[in-house]
Amino acid sequence: MQGTIIENLSGKKLSVLVSLLVIGQIICFLIGGLIAPTPASSQNILGTQCEDIRVNGSEPGGGKWFYSRGKGACSSVNKGNFDLDDHYLAHQVVYAFQMPIPRNNRQLDYSRWQQNLIGVLQVDIMYHSQMEIVPETRITLDARLAYRNKGDPDYAWKPYAASIEERSLDCTIDLKTDDYIYNCSVVPLFELGSLFHDYYLLNVRLPADTDRNINQGLGHVTDLWLTVINQNGGFTKVWVSLKTIFFPIIVCVLAWYWRRVHMLSRSPALLEYMLLVLGSALTFLNMPLEYLTLAYDMPFMLLLGDIRQGVFYANLLSFWLIFAGEHLMIQDSEQRNSLKCYWRHLSAVGVGCLSLFVFDMCERGIQLRNPFYSIWVTDIGTKLALSFIILAGISAGVYLMFLTYMIWKVFTNISIKRATLPSMSAARRLHYEGVIYRFKFLMIATLLCATLTVVGFILGQMAEGQWKWDEDLELEVTSAFFTGVYGMWNNYILALLVLYAPSHKQWPIETSDSIGEEIEFSRLPTDPNEMLSLTAFAGKTAVE
Amino acid sequence: MACKNWVLVLLGVSLAAAASTRSGTWINVGLQGIRQLEAMRTTELYEVGASPLCANLNGLSPGQGRLCQLYQDHMAGVARGARAGIAECQHQFRDRRWNCSTVEDGTVFGPVLGIASRETAFVHAMAAAGVVYSVSRACRDGQLSSCGCSRSGRPRDLNREWIWGGCGDNLEYGYKFTQGFVDVRERERSYKRGSREQGRSLMNLHNNEAGRRAVVKKSKVTCKCHGVSGSCSLITCWQQLASFREVGDYLLDKYDGATEVRVNRRGRLSIRDPRFTLPTANDLVYLEDSPNFCLRNLSMGSLGTQGRVCNRTSAGMDGCNLLCCGRGYNTQKTIVRERCECKFHWCCFVECKTCVKSVDVHTCK
Repeated sequence: MQGTIIENLSGKKLSVLVSLLVIGQIICFLIGGLIAPTPASSQNILGTQCEDIRVNGSEPGGGKWFYSRGKGACSSVNKGNFDLDDHYLAHQVVYAFQMPIPRNNRQLDYSRWQQNLIGVLQVDIMYHSQMEIVPETRITLDARLAYRNKGDPDYAWKPYAASIEERSLDCTIDLKTDDYIYNCSVVPLFELGSLFHDYYLLNVRLPADTDRNINQGLGHVTDLWLTVINQNGGFTKVWVSLKTIFFPIIVCVLAWYWRRVHMLSRSPALLEYMLLVLGSALTFLNMPLEYLTLAYDMPFMLLLGDIRQGVFYANLLSFWLIFAGEHLMIQDSEQRNSLKCYWRHLSAVGVGCLSLFVFDMCERGIQLRNPFYSIWVTDIGTKLALSFIILAGISAGVYLMFLTYMIWKVFTNISIKRATLPSMSAARRLHYEGVIYRFKFLMIATLLCATLTVVGFILGQMAEGQWKWDEDLELEVTSAFFTGVYGMWNNYILALLVLYAPSHKQWPIETSDSIGEEIEFSRLPTDPNEMLSLTAFAGKTAVE
Repeated sequence: MACKNWVLVLLGVSLAAAASTRSGTWINVGLQGIRQLEAMRTTELYEVGASPLCANLNGLSPGQGRLCQLYQDHMAGVARGARAGIAECQHQFRDRRWNCSTVEDGTVFGPVLGIASRETAFVHAMAAAGVVYSVSRACRDGQLSSCGCSRSGRPRDLNREWIWGGCGDNLEYGYKFTQGFVDVRERERSYKRGSREQGRSLMNLHNNEAGRRAVVKKSKVTCKCHGVSGSCSLITCWQQLASFREVGDYLLDKYDGATEVRVNRRGRLSIRDPRFTLPTANDLVYLEDSPNFCLRNLSMGSLGTQGRVCNRTSAGMDGCNLLCCGRGYNTQKTIVRERCECKFHWCCFVECKTCVKSVDVHTCK
């Protein structure tokens, strides 16, 4: 590899650059912590038990929607817990969830800035000593989702999705006392990848069928609660602003970097290609596509977001491998500088990312067609999903082994070279010192970034884990974590692109091809003071 | 129609009663108020101008009356909560000498609440808990539009575009509203420092808080991971209400372990017996010992236990020995039909067999 900027940069310039990046990093962190709200918030909605008065036998479905607020609201079955002796039939009770629920005397409506909506259902089942339920029951839900926009009349709900879903319900109870509520697991119900409309309405029926044993072991269901989780609009705004700032910066730096590589007479080295690909992946991640969701209905955004992150991290992981490989300082390996010799290492990354991708396609891809779909509800689906995740985990393990092995090898090589450094000629020494410096710099930067990510993640989890009741936390830890990590990897790539770009201090030397031969000829340079040929030699060996 | 007339009569009665006594309690919202509310709903008088409920309801203090006018839409929730509190009290005390019996006037429980006893402490806590529970539920139902966070942290509301940040927890709203509504009557009047009245006021405040906290304490936190590919890099949590029975059981525990306190000269509550540990905000406190409720004494609100059914084999409070205060009991053989071997059918009905049993019923002499 050609000598890079970082080797030729004076300490002063380097420190200025690094401190600029650190300042940028701190700003990113503070933006998340002080300006942005928490990434997501939730609303807990109690289902209104609407009465479907249509005559027995009329199929649920059609254009009839049940809602609890506004003109034409349904008549509810009973205000409190309905009596066990009310002779309603199962299809006559419709649980209506009208979202969002009003807050602070305002009729809220979903904003497109909120990006996505996740619905989670909780079933309150009352314990009765005479009718205990088995710990794992199946619950069948007839769920239908409708939407309405501002300005539409109150009754104008338009169907969005409908599905009959079966979910498993794990219910336990610590203290078997009458009228206590079972502790049931939450049931993931739907995921909307875009929040395009203003109001949504969910109608849930619990159909009963004695012949096919549907919902027979359900016990005394008192309430259904729906928790809808949406991304906060403010967070999206901050997030998209960050992207809008980083996107052009990275594109410019990338263009500058590539121009620089092209100015070299030789064809670009593998590592330079890798950096370019990495930069492109980051650009893909940075692209503020979220603006489009404000105008168009793009339900695939959740999936696309996952893919973008996946592509970026796959490239980052591959880059680390190849970077370590290219700094092994083994002169004789002619095959270096091509992707082929890394196929074993890269396949670990590939398999891991591919299995995660397949898993994500199975979950979120199918959700594009049916937002109620979940891979986890069937046994086969759960096994499949688990196997994909385990496969990804194994690949991650293999990858880590490869990476640590390579880094360990580089370090042993470094210590060997260190020992022989004083006896080397000045040119070789400069070359190796450059390689060692480059490698160590990247190692430190990477370790720092990875550690910060992990520490931030753990801190964020801890802050979320303990539910704050009345303590007002000034810093939004989770948001700060997200913007901080996002800014950090941007800064990291930015620094790599700038510092590991080929240094122009050498490229005039390589304008003609004959020089390469000359240097090949003077393998052991006779004139150590000839600085130009020395550095050129260093460049030559690096190319090898 | 007959129902409406009955309400009118009742309104008249309560008006007359309001003029004569001030010893009523706001819990009356759950007893007489709820009937008025239901009557109003059927006649669609609800939401028209000044609610007659607030003006006519016996038992509200002036401050509570104003809050009632201000938050008319909350009153149905308050009423339901108070009623749930009364019902839960009656369930919890079904086997005790005092069985939380109500009377038809503004005092709800009769003169019992006049004594600063454990029972009074429990009733206040239970009613406050009922309101927290019910208002939170009404928020989650979407029927109350003013719910939200009154947290005065970051001024989120200033930026209407800052879409829905901050907390959306309605349990906190229920807690805050109840604090305002229930506690206001204790703060309206100033008492002489260290006086009995002041002690009573402090005791009520403490027990109201304990009741409110009981709901919060019994609620569970549930979380959902929803990061990239459903990973836990993003996690959202919310409070899930327990059943009100659980809250009642919890408060009954607190009733059994209530601490006797007295008011000192500085106007603070201090424990009477220094050997006991200090009560926390979750514990109940009382100032006076309870009457034994064995004999009928209407001036104290005691109906007596004569004629109550007791359990001969039980060693607890429902045992004939304790419940009948040693007066002995009569035994009568009766044939009881009861539901048994029930099978629940979703939705909404229970199929039971009727079992006929011959049992001995013991009643206190």
